[in-house]
Order: sequence, then structure tokens, then C-alpha cells
Amino acid sequence: MRWSSGIKFFLVLAVIAAMTAIVFTGLKIPNTDFVIPKAYDGIRYGIDISGGVSAVLTAPDGITPTDDELDTVKGIIDTRLEGKQIYDKTVTVDRVNKRVLVEIPYKKGGEYGDPYETIADIGATAMLTFREVDEDKVDPETGVYEMTDRIVLQGNDIESAVAETDPQTQYGIVRLIFSDEGAKKFEEATERLVGKRIAIYLDDQMISAPIVNEKISGKDRAVINLGFIDRNESIEYAKELAAIIRSGALPFKLEAKDVNHISPIIGESALNISIYAGAVAIILVWLFMLLYYRVPGLVADITLLGQVAAIILVFVLSGMSLTLPGIAGLILTVGMSIDANVIIFERIKEELRSGKTVQAAIELGFKRAFTAILDGNLTTLITAAVLYYFGTGAVRSFAITLGLGIIVNFITAIVATKIVLNALSQIRVLRKPWLFGAKGGTANV
Amino acid sequence: MFNFDYVGKRKYFFILSTVLLLIGLVALIVRGGLNLDIQFRGGTQIEIEMENGDFDVIKAENIAKEAIGKSGIHVQKSYTFNPTNSDEAISFLVIKSSGKLTDDERNKVLDALKAEFNVKENGEMRVRDVDPSIGAELLTKGLLAVALSLILLILYIGIRFNIMSGLLAGFTAVVAVLHDVLMMVAVYAVFNIPVNESFIAAVLTILGYSVNDTIVIYDRIRENSRISRKDSIRTIVNNSITQSMSRTINTSVTTLISVITVYAFAAYNGIGSMKEFTFPLIIGLICGTYSSIFIASPLWELLKEKQAKRKASQAAKA
Repeated sequence: MRWSSGIKFFLVLAVIAAMTAIVFTGLKIPNTDFVIPKAYDGIRYGIDISGGVSAVLTAPDGITPTDDELDTVKGIIDTRLEGKQIYDKTVTVDRVNKRVLVEIPYKKGGEYGDPYETIADIGATAMLTFREVDEDKVDPETGVYEMTDRIVLQGNDIESAVAETDPQTQYGIVRLIFSDEGAKKFEEATERLVGKRIAIYLDDQMISAPIVNEKISGKDRAVINLGFIDRNESIEYAKELAAIIRSGALPFKLEAKDVNHISPIIGESALNISIYAGAVAIILVWLFMLLYYRVPGLVADITLLGQVAAIILVFVLSGMSLTLPGIAGLILTVGMSIDANVIIFERIKEELRSGKTVQAAIELGFKRAFTAILDGNLTTLITAAVLYYFGTGAVRSFAITLGLGIIVNFITAIVATKIVLNALSQIRVLRKPWLFGAKGGTANV
Repeated sequence: MFNFDYVGKRKYFFILSTVLLLIGLVALIVRGGLNLDIQFRGGTQIEIEMENGDFDVIKAENIAKEAIGKSGIHVQKSYTFNPTNSDEAISFLVIKSSGKLTDDERNKVLDALKAEFNVKENGEMRVRDVDPSIGAELLTKGLLAVALSLILLILYIGIRFNIMSGLLAGFTAVVAVLHDVLMMVAVYAVFNIPVNESFIAAVLTILGYSVNDTIVIYDRIRENSRISRKDSIRTIVNNSITQSMSRTINTSVTTLISVITVYAFAAYNGIGSMKEFTFPLIIGLICGTYSSIFIASPLWELLKEKQAKRKASQAAKA
């Protein structure tokens, strides 16, 4: 073995071994914050595995949102969910299909309550209005006043909102911060309506209807009492409401077109089974390659391990979610990634049959196989790209693993396999055509 | 590798494919179209965890129908293994409604079932609610994706394989791909498999795989056309297919090993979503391999010869 190819050979093996080890055990560099968790825990799973809620939200029929509006919607949904203490969520804007996708995974030990309520809450426009009321138009049981069109104040008159605890009652309240104009309007209205009620609505839901005691001036004097019986509940809701008001009103109402609620147990069992299936598939492919191609087969097996580890690491490091179709895509690439190697090895065998030496055959095999591999991979990459562009959620995840698989596969086949195979062919004992899968026993060295 | 006259025997394979596709067409007509799943048709699907698998599906269906007075409701059984204790199976009752259920209707169905059956307390539940409009959109987008990929493939092959009259080669490759896609549709129609999102992903995967398979043979034809200009197109095509044969078979074998393993695990453990995805892949992989050997290149040879003859007769006239 020559020095340079020997070094390259061990470098390739070391990289593959390191990647595989990181996948299984994770990596922590001492004295730094750099940590890669082991793949099983570190990968972000799609909700079909982790369980949770996903929803496709669109504008009502007849409204075509602009890209800017969609981005605003995303920002508002993010803020609203964070107001509900939901941080581990994915909100993506699908500009092609003009919709927003929300995924909220289950948190171990955490409870998010009814998924439908969560989705309904984030889809509400959250237009806050202060309205005069007709004293006689009230539901006697609930105390809810009918909405009038005499609006005193509305969303854009409010700059901000903060959740507070009432110092006397210890109940949660929301303090509003008006804009200059809002403060003026509020002062005017409270002066005019002393002794009467002003009702506060979020969309068409009345939150409270306090009686005006006196004229109120100033930007931060308006407080919403929430009317809860339970104190903790009122504190929680005050936080949520303040967050909703702060995040602002949606440009349009969001309709949930596809709500998918998956319990974690189904996903977890599917994940474990696909890991077993993947392991068995890899072992079977390994055996096949080893028995059929011998020395090159062993090389393909090693690089296959590197490929799978590389794809898994991309998922761990990028934080992309891995879904069940994504895993299926990964296992499919295990089969297909062998293709580039198969093309090369078949070419090497042909060259050996025509009487070339092992080393010359390897050189020519790689050269002749290149165009087939390039064209084959590029065309598959085209379909993966189209799939990504048109697909949503699960299909997208599949497209990513497929595309990633093709790229990694191309690099390993052309670079890693070649280095390892070249190095091995310099070892005299291995330089026999039989060991490279060709018939005939003697080497033409 | 034995020598087989792929080009000469092509009419038998063309007939075989036509017959299989016709069977699919008949099944499609008899069944009145494909069995579209909730994702495409719109509706609600609820899975409820049960104490055990002993429940009468037909009775459950009737109870659900009575509870809300709707007829388009279908009930099935499904199960999965417990991830913490693999000896134990968890049974689910699956309710599929062709119309979207409101929150109120959903609760009514659940209450009615809870009253009659052993629904597990605080058990797992999975709900999917799809608006019909999104299903139609998904289907259109899927078809659009297939169409766009095909156009891009013809263009790509047109540029890279100009020695094979590029666009013609692109066209025959696409015919082979369409053959595989239609074959998958036929399988879905014959076995009445529900068509959902994973069907589109599977179709596009096979599209990529089948083209890749065809390209490797084309690559051989391209190479051989440069080397042996004296040979007839027919000989070149036959030789190229033969020379690529072990690669074609081995790649199919390794890919099939992977996909069949996943299918076997999914089927044994009752993971519906993975089973639904891998089954059409298996069919598609077999079709893709078959079509790249017996359809794409032999068809290209046929059209190429015709083109050559037409050019010759035009030249003779002039």
C-alpha cells in the first residue's frame, strides 16, 4: 500500500467509524458547549411518530392571502402558541399552496388539553373591540351582551397588553396600553358613558362588560377583569389573553382544513418497528453485497454504513423533522444507494473479464460507470425536488430523505468507495479477480 | 450472460403489459374509480383505543350511524403492538365518515360507542378531519407533480442523450414510466387499496427509480453507439440490455430486499401507514425494472427504425 492512498484509506474509515459512533452514542466535547445527542433522542420526530396535532390552516374561500400576510399569520400563530406555553412547535408557511401548517408535538408528561380547542384558538382573528351596549339586550343566564355596532375602540388603538395580578383580589387581570389616539378615544368615551357599561369583545366573544365609574385618562389605565371563579385559571388566562392581544389581529380568519391528531403510542411503536426493519434491511443488503461482490461488496457495505450515518446526522444537526414516510425513504435509499456501487462493480468485473489487471479494471470501471451514475442520480434528484416543491408535511420529509440520500450516495460512491477500493487493490493478497467477483482464479498482475 | 433478443420479442411484452393494464382498467370501471381515502375525499376518521379486540364491527357501525343519523360511516378494526411491552397488542376501533363530522357529532358517536363497548378509559385516540377541498387540491397537485417531473425528464434526457435522438429517447423513457405508474393505479384498483398521500409519494418514487433504471441502459446504448458505429441499432440495443442486465437485477434485488423487509415488519405489527406506503413501492419496483428492460429501449428502437425509414424514403423522393 502506498503512503498517500493508505492515509486516505484510513481517513475514510475513521470518518465513517466516527459518524456511526456519534449516531449511536452522541458526542460531547469536554470543556465546551458542543453536544450532539445520540440520534434516537436527538432527532426531531414528525408528529406521526411523536404524537401530537397537525393542522392545515387556510384563509376562508374567496380570499387569496399574499406572502406578506402569510408571514404575518405565522408570526401571530407563533406568539399565540408561546402564550400558551407551547414552544416546541413547527409553524411553516406554504407559499405555493397559500396555507400555513402547524404541528404541535406531544410533550412527555405535558398536557395540552383538547387539540381542537388549541387549533380553534390560534385560528381566531383576535380582533379586540370595545363597544357600547344596549342594557336590555343581554342574556340573563350568562350576562353576555349582544354585540352592537357602536364601537368605542378597536385593535389598532391598542399598543400592547400585559398580564398582571390584581393586588387586592390576587386574580389575573390584563392591563391595556393604548396608543395616543386610543387614549383620547377612551377618555372621551368614559366621560360620555359614566354609569353605563362598555363591553370588551375578542372577535365575537364577550370577555367582560365593566361599568364606567368615572372618566379615565392616560394610556395605561384600562384593565380587563376576566371573571373567572378559579384564581389560578384567571392568572393563566390573563397571560394567554395578553399574548393574543400583543400578537395582534390576524388579517383574516383561519380555517382548519386538515386536522390530524395522533396519539404518541401509535407513533412510538411505529418508530421502534421501523428501526428494527431498517436494521434487518441493512444486514440483508450487506450479506447480499458481500456474497455477490466479495471485496468490493465489503467496501460497499462500509460506505453504506457511512451513508446512513451521514443522513441520520443531517437530521440530528439540522432539526428537520423525521416522519414515517421519511424513514421509509431512508430505507429505500439504503437499497438504491447500492446502485451506484453495483454499476461500478459490474463495470470492474467486465474489465476483469476482458483480461485487465485488477488495478486497471478498477480505474476503468469508475471512469466508465461515471456517466450512468451521474445521469441516473440527477434524474432521481429532479423528481425528489418536484416532490419537495409540491408536497406537504409527510411527503416533503420523504422528498428530503430521498434527495439527501441521492447526494450522499453520489459523493460516497465516487469518492469514498474509490479511495477504499484503490487502497485495498494495492494489497497483493487481495489482488485476485475472484475476490472482485469475477470468474477465474489467477491474477494477471 | 445469455443472449436474448429483447428487441425481436418485444411484441410479446407489449401485449403482456397491455393485457395487465386492461385488467386494471376493467377493475377501475367495475369499482367505479379508485378507493379514495379520507385525505382525498374529505371526511373524518377516528381511531379509539379499546380494552380488547373483541368487538362487533357491524354493531359498532350501526350504533355510530344511529347516534348522528348519517349513513356514510364505516367501522374497521386495527391493532398495533405496545411499544413498552411487545407481547401485548393494542386494539383500535376505526370510524371513517365520508362527510366531515362536527365536534358535536364526533362526541355523540364517541359517547354512543362508550356506552356499548369496552372503550379504554383515558385511552389513546387519533382523529383526522379533512375538508373535501383540500383533498381535491392534493390530488391536482399530485398530478401536476407527476406531469412536471415527466416534462423535466424528457428535457434532461433530450440534452444528455442527443446521440440517441434525445427527445425520442426521453419520450420512450417517459412511456416506460407512465406504464409503471398506470400499473400501480391498476394494482390499487384490482385490490381496492385506499388511495392516500403515500400513494403520491410512492408513484413519484417509482417515477424516479424507473427513469434511473432506464437511464443506465440508455447510458450503455449511448456508449455502444459511439464505439461500434457499424452495428445495427437492433444489435446495439440488445447488447446494451444484456450488458446492463446483472446491474439491473442486482439493484432491484437490493432495493426490493429493503422495501420488502419494511413491508413485512409493518404488516406483522399492523403499522397501517407504512404498509400502505411500501406495498405500492414493491409493485412499482418490479414494474420499473420490467419496463426499463422490456419497454423503454425496445420501444425506442422501434421508433428510431421508423424514423430512419421515413427519412430514407424522404431522401429517395427528393
